[in-house]
Amino acid sequence: MTRTSKLVLRTLTAGAVLAAAATSAPSSTRAADAIPQLRNGSIGYIITNLHWAGYKTPDAKAECPDGKVNPWGPREQFKVMYPDDGKRTVMDTHFAFEISSWYPDAETPDRFPFYEAKGKYSTGLNLDGKVGPNDFTSPDGEPGIDNQLFRTIGCVENYRPPEGTTTFYADKAIMEERYNRMLIELTGVDSLENDNDVTVTMYRGLDELVADATGERYVSGTTMRVDARWGKKFVQTFKGKIVGGALITEPVAFGQIPWSSFSLPTVQKFHDMRFQLRLRPDSAVGYIGGYVDVETWYWQTMKSESTHHQSNGQTTLNSLYKVLRKNADAYPDPATGRNTAISGSLEAKFVQAFIVHPPTDNKVASAQVTAAPSQERRER
Amino acid sequence: MRLQMLLVTAALMPFGWQSLAAGGRPAEDYVHVPMPPGVQVINTELEGNVFADASGHTLYDWPLKPMRVGEAGDPANKSNCTNQVLREEGGHMSPYPPGLLLPDLDTRPSCTQMWPPMLADKDAKPVGDWTIVVRDDGIRQWAYAQQPLYTFKYDRLPGDTIGGTKRDMKPGVSARPAVRNPVGPPPNTPTGFDVLSTVNGRLLVGANTALRPAIYTYDKDTATKSACTGEDCLRQWKPVLAPELARPTSKEWSLVERSPGVRQWAFRGKPLYTHIADMPFRGHGMSLDGSDTPGWRAVYTQTTPEIPSELKRQATIGGDTLADARGRTIYLYFCQDDANDQLNCDHPETSQAIRLALCGAGDPARCLRRFPLVLASVGAQSTSRAWNVREIDPMTGRFAAPGAKGAVRVWTYRDRPLYTFDGDPPPKIGDREPGDVEADGLGEWHGQRDGYTAFWLRDDFYGRNN
Repeated sequence: MTRTSKLVLRTLTAGAVLAAAATSAPSSTRAADAIPQLRNGSIGYIITNLHWAGYKTPDAKAECPDGKVNPWGPREQFKVMYPDDGKRTVMDTHFAFEISSWYPDAETPDRFPFYEAKGKYSTGLNLDGKVGPNDFTSPDGEPGIDNQLFRTIGCVENYRPPEGTTTFYADKAIMEERYNRMLIELTGVDSLENDNDVTVTMYRGLDELVADATGERYVSGTTMRVDARWGKKFVQTFKGKIVGGALITEPVAFGQIPWSSFSLPTVQKFHDMRFQLRLRPDSAVGYIGGYVDVETWYWQTMKSESTHHQSNGQTTLNSLYKVLRKNADAYPDPATGRNTAISGSLEAKFVQAFIVHPPTDNKVASAQVTAAPSQERRER
Repeated sequence: MRLQMLLVTAALMPFGWQSLAAGGRPAEDYVHVPMPPGVQVINTELEGNVFADASGHTLYDWPLKPMRVGEAGDPANKSNCTNQVLREEGGHMSPYPPGLLLPDLDTRPSCTQMWPPMLADKDAKPVGDWTIVVRDDGIRQWAYAQQPLYTFKYDRLPGDTIGGTKRDMKPGVSARPAVRNPVGPPPNTPTGFDVLSTVNGRLLVGANTALRPAIYTYDKDTATKSACTGEDCLRQWKPVLAPELARPTSKEWSLVERSPGVRQWAFRGKPLYTHIADMPFRGHGMSLDGSDTPGWRAVYTQTTPEIPSELKRQATIGGDTLADARGRTIYLYFCQDDANDQLNCDHPETSQAIRLALCGAGDPARCLRRFPLVLASVGAQSTSRAWNVREIDPMTGRFAAPGAKGAVRVWTYRDRPLYTFDGDPPPKIGDREPGDVEADGLGEWHGQRDGYTAFWLRDDFYGRNN
């Protein structure tokens, strides 16, 4: 077992994935041939929920300064920046404010305070296998959680589930749209409990999620077609293993997933992308993690969510960008030395699905994926 | 001159069961409704049949629309388009307050200067769905289906639809401005069918459900017999069956008896189907998954002109877009301001202030670097009314006189210049390789209010080509 594998296994088995599985894991080990969803060594899953990992308490005292979330949203900042003198022009106020979002500035100090997450705890993954001074501890005691993205957005109401509008719209986008229909297919699987060599291939699907009568829980066992036409960029392969019912993939150098909010086709890009999921025959729960490309993250946020929607949760984009860049903790730009990526994870839920490949192309070709770079390359 | 001759668009010439539009393409048939004297129906390249005034100018309405804050547009039988030059934003677009002074006030037109009302003379009488409303200034104005009618200042020739589109631009979305729509007679389809304007043409859809599924034909069918009869075919394709009392509304429509007593609609000699795997777009049409099956074709009552040969269709992560010869995605800029009259700000003859703010933080040179204009090659000529080669002053974004110093020849669509997106130098965002659509939705309210949208030719994910 590689050093990395040992570390991610430690994180997984002692971390939130295990906790999430504890309430739902099957009571006993099941052989592959006893699992009808596992056919010819293959089982598929379809994404149903995807949110940025973090830690939230009802009064915010454990994670935010003095229990306060960021109060300086667009409405609040605009009111201070542009007092009504009866001569305000559209270009000097409204569009000056929009320009600050379209052309964010990381260099100029912010006029307004920005509340970062200061607490000890966060969910997510230990990406580098180390326990550093800026790392969080998982709620169940696992140290070394790398999640500077949570440090950045953890005290911004928009990103605090379940009330935060980003959470709401993320769920809505998965429910109503199919651009972001992420599928994963595990192949070479002998057992969902232990298998030291499995392959995970990610696809984009084309079909609707099917909910139960409540409309809130998605059912497993549906058929999902692979998008072999427009989804080629999302076809990526990961090598991994299953240990104690937990899937752990090796990080790949670079990965991307389809990301949709407000009906725009965007992506999230990760360096050192990996999956850690607790597997069940009918579902999978866990994390997709890595070092998130800062500019891509900001760009899709800026495009997808209007200033109006940002206002709902006190997110002023120019302010957020400054902190995002400050907290970026990996992949320094060779020219400037500034980090270009930030550690983060997505909490992901899947239900099992039968994945149907195009009839003329048994398997869509995977995008070129290389192994993750050395530790030195991704550190400052 | 040649182009103008091609575009005498009212030529609905009988040819078999079809009429022909410009370029010899089939034209959509329509219901001949009563019209006031002087009003005519013109078949247009992009919007099918529209009403036009005696000079051939397309007529538009401006339906009242709930905005994020308040509402804008005309309620039934009343015009809110006035002679007054508005000076302030209306505050319709949260989170910004009303009362902010608009840009370029010295040249800002009034609503009626940009959208001249179609006036009715003192003797005019209502006819059919055509009525007369009295404007606040006492002048009589024609209305159709209770909506006051206007022409658009920048429509130049009969058949121009520069001012708006019938395409379903998410009318229920409060982020969208209150847009003007070309108005025309209803398509001549039997009950149970409708026609949607899309980028590719006027798409025949089902109208019996809110889903409005796309309608298809099968190459192996004949005018009298369906070849889709086996279990495998019928598992994927659903014949569009006709009720017992259904009758064709024109020679374009017929009925095919699949089995005794079971009749299937046919259009232009082909039986019709829907595809079971097409996906809805939240109430505004369906995907076109079915057209990916060899031998099956989505039905258009008429198609739009072909894209210029210098441009091409290209697959992206979100569907097919238009691209330039190097494979860079092409974008259109859309803008209506937030004043109560919701004036256009995306036409080269209108204020460019908002566009310049978005594309270059107010710096025209940066705009050109980030969003290069799509230049026409030497010798390239306009290919249709929709696709034109025009001269633009790149620093102002305005049309330039032919041969004007500094002007560049660019491709335009509906008079709007085409752009690509280079973004800022790396590592910032830009379209770096063919198929990137990074600027899609860039702007206010995801680009729906003012911003850039990729030129979608096939969008099976969000339906933005219809």
